[in-house]
Order: sequence, then C-alpha cells, then structure tokens
Amino acid sequence: MHHAIQASHLTRRFGERIAVNDLSFTASAGEILGFLGPNGAGKTTTIRMLSGMIAPTSGSAKVVEIDPASQPANVHAVIGLLPESPGFYGQLSAERNLRYFAGFYPGIDGKRQVEMYLDRLGLLERKNERVAGFSKGMKQRLSLARALLHEPAVLFLDEPTSGLDPEVAHELRILIGELRDVGRTIFLSTHNLNEAEGLCDRVAVIRTSLVALDTPSALRSQATRGGATVTVQLETADSDVREAISALPYVASIGGSGEQLTVVFSDPSARPRLAADILAAGGNVLEMLEQRASLEDVYLNLVQDEERS
Amino acid sequence: MSGSVRRIRNVLSKEWSVMSSSFGSLLYLVLFPLLITGQAVLIIWLVARFVPAGDAIATLVHSEEAAAASWSAVDALRLLLVRQFNVFVLIVPAMIANVFSTQSIVEEKITQTLEPLLATPVRTWELVTGKALSGAVPAVASTWLCAGAFIGALYGLGWGFLVPVALNATWLISVIALAPAVAVLSFVLGVIGSSRAADTKGAQNISVVLFLPLIVLMVLQVTGLVWFTPATMGAVAAGFFLLAAGMVCVAVRLFARESIIVRWR
Repeated sequence: MHHAIQASHLTRRFGERIAVNDLSFTASAGEILGFLGPNGAGKTTTIRMLSGMIAPTSGSAKVVEIDPASQPANVHAVIGLLPESPGFYGQLSAERNLRYFAGFYPGIDGKRQVEMYLDRLGLLERKNERVAGFSKGMKQRLSLARALLHEPAVLFLDEPTSGLDPEVAHELRILIGELRDVGRTIFLSTHNLNEAEGLCDRVAVIRTSLVALDTPSALRSQATRGGATVTVQLETADSDVREAISALPYVASIGGSGEQLTVVFSDPSARPRLAADILAAGGNVLEMLEQRASLEDVYLNLVQDEERS
Repeated sequence: MSGSVRRIRNVLSKEWSVMSSSFGSLLYLVLFPLLITGQAVLIIWLVARFVPAGDAIATLVHSEEAAAASWSAVDALRLLLVRQFNVFVLIVPAMIANVFSTQSIVEEKITQTLEPLLATPVRTWELVTGKALSGAVPAVASTWLCAGAFIGALYGLGWGFLVPVALNATWLISVIALAPAVAVLSFVLGVIGSSRAADTKGAQNISVVLFLPLIVLMVLQVTGLVWFTPATMGAVAAGFFLLAAGMVCVAVRLFARESIIVRWR
C-alpha cells in the first residue's frame, strides 16, 4: 500500500532530553492524520523531522517515498508547511510575500498560483496591502495559501486554528476538509479535540512516544473499555422496576434517581434487550440514550494513563 | 537560468524590496556615505585652512612623491590628508553591510519567517549568498560612489591637481579590493552576531568587533607607522578576504537549518 508518510522508530534527543521517542506510524495518501498531545509532547519536533528541517537522532522517515533527513530539498518540493506562527514580512504586501515564497519552487507559474490561492482564500482584494495590517485570521489564511502555492502532495499544519475566532476557524476547517477531498495528505497537529474529531480520518495521541493511533470512533470505543452506558427516562419512578433492572445479568451497575436511570452494562451486546426487559418488569420507557465517550474523554484518559505509567 | 541563480536572485530581490520599503534604510544608505565623504572633505579643508603646515610634512611628501616635489607645504599637507581617505572610507562598507545583514536576519528571527522559508527548496548557501549580496552590493556601490564624490569634491574645490598623485595604486587597491573584503567580512560578522542576538542592536554590538582592525589600519596609516605600498595594501586586502572566508565557514555552520530551528532564539 502506498503511504504518503512513513515514520519508523523516529527518535529525537536534544542533549539529555528526549523530545520524540520511537515513533512509528503511517499516513495514507488523501488521509487527514490528527496529531494530539499536550504542550511539549513532541508534535512540532515530529513535523520538523518529517519536513526535513531537523534530522532524527535515530529512526527514519519517508514522505512521498523521499527521506527528509538525506534529501531535505526534495522533500521541501513536495510538502507544504503551515507553521505555528504564520511568519510574514510585514512591510511587504500579501502578494509580494507569496511571490517570494513561490519563487523557490521550480516549474510553477508563481504569478498564476499566487492569484489563484489569494482568490481561493478570500484575500485577492487585499493583495496589495501590507501584511503588517492583517488580522491573525488573515495571516493564517495567507499562510495556508503559501503552503499550497506549489500544489504539495503532503501538508503539515501545525495548530492551524490556534487563536482564531470561531468563524474564521470554521472557514479554515472547511478548507482543510476540501483539501483532503482533492487527495492531499494532511498531517494536522492540534489541541482542538473537536477539530480533530470532525476532520481527521485517524488520530494519533502522542506524549513523547505514541500513546494511541486509531480512528476517532475506535478510540472512543476503547475509552469505554468494552462497557457501555445508557441513560433511561422512565414514565414514573418505580423502585421495583429499578431493582428488576439492577438484577439483570448483563447490567454491571445502576445509577441516577427518580425517573432517570443510568445503566452501566457488563455486556454491551445486550443493550437491545434492555427496553424489553424494563417493559417486562412493568416500567414504561420514554427515552433511551447511549452515552458516548467524546474524543476529549479519550484523550484525557490516555494522557493520564500515560502519566501514571 | 539555473535553479540556484534563480533562487539567489529571488532572495536578493526580496531583500531589496524590504530595504526600499523602509524610508529609514534608504535614508541611511544615502545619508551615511554622504556624511562620511562630506566629513573627509571638510576635515581636509579645515586642516589646510587653519593648521600651519610644518616643514616636516612637506619634506616627507616631497621625498615620497616626485610629482609633488615642487608643491607648497599646504598642498603637501592636503595630499597627505587625501591619501587617508582610502582607509577612512572603509567605514562605509563596514557599517552598511553590517546594518543590512543584522537587520535582515534579526528581522527574520523576530517575524518568524525563517521556518517557512527553510521549508522551501532554498539551500542554505543560496540564502546566505542572496543575503550577503543584498548587503554587500549596496555597501560596495556606496563606497565607490563615496570615492567618486570625494574626487568630484576635490575638483570642485580647485584641488584637482591632487587627484592624479593621490590616486596611486595603494589608494585604488584599498578602495577597489579592500572595500569588498570589508563588506563581506562585515556581513558575515553580522550573520554571526544575529545568530546569537535577540534584536538588531544586540547583533550589531556583537559584530562591531570588525571595527577594531579597521581602526588599527587607520592609526597605522595616519601616524605613518606603516607606509602602505601597493604590496602591503594588497596583502592587507588578501588578509581581510582570508579572514572573511574563514568567517563565512563559521556563518554557514551557524546558518544551517538545524541550527536555526533548534538553537536560534
């Protein structure tokens, strides 16, 4: 299978400190791979190693079949980077900034690409204005335009919506989704768990080393550790019904009070039987709602488990 | 056009766009050389006008320059002063290259443009070369314009007869060969200073060390401790070029991607 990104036992030390330890993962072409982790977990260091900015202490990586450590210039031709800080020459116009960066890529029509992406990112009308006067959201959009100028196969986005207002962040997320739809591989480092859940095909949780890597739904399932919880709204509170439910063989525990009960299953596969069993015990069910772990719960569990271990 | 040349031209063009967008930079580029040239002309005029020329100076000049053997003591003094300009003017490439290199690199650090820049296919040596040329070309051009303006001022003040005698091989070697060496060295020291400093002033404070050898050169020439011949001036220029080459190696190591990303703060 063709992988756009392959990392194999990637490790990076800074003196005695280990920033990234034995990281192995792959990302397929056209996939959005989310990278979650607390500050200092090694997300940016990983991006820098994969983008050929710094070399790994040990291990290896391939981006579009190119080794970033030995052929950084070749990797730079096929990747786009949106760094944590946009980084523009404030005294130059948006267009001049992009023309400068476009000028380093061989075989592209810089003028055409700059116009196209300024238009696509909604900045064409302000192309002649100095970047120093741009808002953070505009700079971030300009930064995304810069990352796309040479039509890279792989995009590294480091906290792309950090510090943006909700509207701009939403627009940017839509754009990122569109980029995936046209087949680009996106490596998305983020603190925003809703963003990761909404955008990413798979999510990696990192805390120096890889803690977990799976689809958001699979990670949520793991968080329930094989169990499941259902909230039941009864028509009337009935202690006999409550006792009957707690005696059911597939129920681990029961919580809540009055008409509202929280049922924790020891055998989640028995969930479809619960409504019929309540009815048989004389209760009337108004509503049943399965409680799902959010990615935030998953993330916090994983990181706390890692801390404890 | 090869890829490297295209990328170097791209860096050069951007640097000059930034330079031309700053009124302060343009003013500095124009005013500073004019000030240095004007100061030199004024000093010559004032000294020749108010300081009595001693016989010792006239004797020295008459013995060293056959063409000036019949000149008055005042004209001999003027010749001696005009001859100091070749070293005095080296302040121009030193200052301009240093100011532009430190501004250019420290600004990249402050605005955090180095990371996206280093994520492009530009190679370190192309980036350093582009930046070096962007500072060294105006520095050397300003120096030569200063030299031209100085000669023009000599003619304008009616001292044109000094020019053919003053502009000897030593004078020309220092302006044509030593000035570019000083510009390159100054730029490189600016890079080294910038890699360690958090702001432009800090970088300039570190790289100001370049002025020590220039001051030594001036003192040696003005006091007459060393009478610079074309050979000695050529050796000084070669020494500066060698020093610059050594410093370039240091600068390229400091300017490596990993150093910038990991160590530059």
